[in-house]
Amino acid sequence: MKIRKIVTIVEEIRSEGGREVYPPARVAIVAAVIENPWAGSGFVEDLNPGIDATASDLGALLAPQVLDALEAPAEAYGKAAIVGLDGEIEHGSGLIHTLKFGDHFRKAANATTLLPAVEKRGPAGVLFDIPLKHITDATIRSHHQTVEVRVADAPHANEIVVALAAAAQGRPQQRLAPLSTEQ
Amino acid sequence: MQEQNWDGEIGLRKVVIYREEIITEAGARPDRQAVQASVAAVLRNPWVGSDPSRDLAPEVAAVAPVLARIVSERLLALLGGVDAIEAFGKAAIVGTAGEIEHGGALIHTPYFGNLMREFLDGTSIICFADTRAEAGESLVVPLWHKTHAATRSHYQTVSTRVSDGPRPDEIVVVAAASTGPRPHPRIGDRTTDPAITSKKLESLLS
Repeated sequence: MKIRKIVTIVEEIRSEGGREVYPPARVAIVAAVIENPWAGSGFVEDLNPGIDATASDLGALLAPQVLDALEAPAEAYGKAAIVGLDGEIEHGSGLIHTLKFGDHFRKAANATTLLPAVEKRGPAGVLFDIPLKHITDATIRSHHQTVEVRVADAPHANEIVVALAAAAQGRPQQRLAPLSTEQ
Repeated sequence: MQEQNWDGEIGLRKVVIYREEIITEAGARPDRQAVQASVAAVLRNPWVGSDPSRDLAPEVAAVAPVLARIVSERLLALLGGVDAIEAFGKAAIVGTAGEIEHGGALIHTPYFGNLMREFLDGTSIICFADTRAEAGESLVVPLWHKTHAATRSHYQTVSTRVSDGPRPDEIVVVAAASTGPRPHPRIGDRTTDPAITSKKLESLLS
């Protein structure tokens, strides 16, 4: 795995809707900008060797860092793969849609649910939203949220940005009725 | 609980931290690995709705020092302390209902600049960028060496952006820093530069 850089973003929300949020709501993102393992290889039918060589290492690298940046237990989480213009979205999906990648985060966060994800292809500096859901029950409405990310000079055409996001709580000022009240 | 008071005093809505660690550049690991970071504080513009004759000084004295402390403390925590920081810069993004002068008031007076310089243990003037923009605009923040501003290896920038700020009546104030030079710096310095003049380059420029 060839890493160019690692980006950490933390949002700390102190008021919402004109009311104080206390303690401040925290969401952290850690993104690795890596060379697309299949760059320059033409159409690769079997992605498994590249996935095996990369996905687990990437998950092991990002999971502890995003929890460190959050400085709190994660209650919601999500992931992203943003593929540079010369790659296939399938390449990004290959890296993040495997238990080899996500299990590192699930284990570190004591989580059980599948990670919601965004997969997208775009130029360097493309905006992307990472969806987050509750780490043990994806039906918990208060924790459905997204966080917006941009890395100014990534992904290059031959790169992939792979990111994990974690939130220490649900939405600030969350006040929707739970799903069960409508069933 | 002190932080709660800060918020009330200065109308702080959110703080966005960005940290970037370069592992390789152009395929090679830099000799000196540097980490860049920026801290963006989104706060209510204390002068929104006022006219250009308004004296900005009272709010500068009340708000700018608190801001300087908030953003400097976070930068220090992000980059591993005052001794690790080698370059610094600052910026303001003013929401569309404010004046650029409002952003300048928060970052260009001693109530912000002197304190940020003191907290980061620098002596240089802090270089800056400012703009007025809609929420989500990104701004490139310039950095230079905190004690030797002319050190060319440390001329660098970091991009900052808050997805939903500034609102028209808000200002985003940014402090940024780096723990080292650009990756692979190799464009010389004032001490090694030849004395270039247009006369010496006559043949090229004619």
